[in-house]
Amino acid sequence: MNERPLGVLIVEDEVLLATELEFLLDEAGCRALGHAMTADEAVTMAHDLHPDLALVDVHLADGPTGVEVARRIHQDCGGVALFMTANVKRLPDDFAGACGVIGKPYSGNGVRSALHYLTACLRDGHAPGPPPVGLTLSPDYIALWGLHELAKAS
Amino acid sequence: MTDLSQPPEPEPRGDPSPGQSRRDLEQLVADRTLELTQALEQKTALLHEVDHRVKNNLQLISSLLLLQNRRVADPAVKAALRGMLDRVNAIATVHRRLFQSDDVERFDVSAFVRDLVADVVGSAGRDDIAFSLDLERVDVAASKAAPLALVISELLSNATRHAFPEGRPGRVFVGITRNEDAFRIEISDDGVGMPTSASVNGFGLTIIQLLCQQLKARFEALDASPGTRVVITLPVNGARP
Repeated sequence: MNERPLGVLIVEDEVLLATELEFLLDEAGCRALGHAMTADEAVTMAHDLHPDLALVDVHLADGPTGVEVARRIHQDCGGVALFMTANVKRLPDDFAGACGVIGKPYSGNGVRSALHYLTACLRDGHAPGPPPVGLTLSPDYIALWGLHELAKAS
Repeated sequence: MTDLSQPPEPEPRGDPSPGQSRRDLEQLVADRTLELTQALEQKTALLHEVDHRVKNNLQLISSLLLLQNRRVADPAVKAALRGMLDRVNAIATVHRRLFQSDDVERFDVSAFVRDLVADVVGSAGRDDIAFSLDLERVDVAASKAAPLALVISELLSNATRHAFPEGRPGRVFVGITRNEDAFRIEISDDGVGMPTSASVNGFGLTIIQLLCQQLKARFEALDASPGTRVVITLPVNGARP
């Protein structure tokens, strides 16, 4: 596949996790555009760098601001957010416009599989199949990427 | 904080009107209900906070191992780090599963095995190893979840990493069945067989034996010619297998 790699913004206040995520992005054929640790940094970088995808932790260096970051990326920047959090149950029902969540603790392979899957979804506008283990999609994106039809067909 | 163990004040002697004492009682009940509700909310918030920290710390440990694994070149050190990473991942999967379900006391072993196999298959990157599962729904006490998960993870890693040297295709089977007083967990492969796989990973075997002792489980490794069949028999509610 000789296509443009997915540009990804990392929004995570644990530097070690962010560093490892950059390696995983590289291995999944994505390009890490930058790394933000606070809500302000994240929104500024999303405006400037136009990421295709933003990996967003809920608890950032300035508090539980990740949900608002996802909402602003969704509304103002045209990018797609994906939560990465240990607090899956605390996410709002509408996922603040994000496409889904990877629950912590995740495995390296779990993240790589999710990135491959989302690359296909964002490129084709529909899902290649059910999401891999570890990735949960939001209700809006289940509908957008045609997973209802997929479930019926199988 | 209010001391909730104190009983409410006794009613004063005398004879207030029946309507008055009833209103007083209702007020007391309402006050205490409010206090108890608030105390429960505080405890629930605390539990979520602790769960959140455990998960984040497990993530941190796993990222540390991954980062160091990328730095070292020595194959023996890489294999050791890889082994520790598998073990931490198994415990992480347990923790994710335990708090996903509404019942934090019980642990669904089959659901765990499905998650773990998906992860092992993906990270092994071996399309030439076929996995098949036959899993009956089986629950164990949450306190047994981590040791049992470590045993299963160790056996799965052994089967995928050591039973099939590069280029040798094969099959791995995981089965869980429930008898009257025991669970039977079988993991078998049609790979190179025990002498090689056991000697490659002596530490893994030690872990399995120690944890089976803790779980009061029986561990049998059989020569399946070709390959290895391992059967773990885990007693239900303390019964001897």
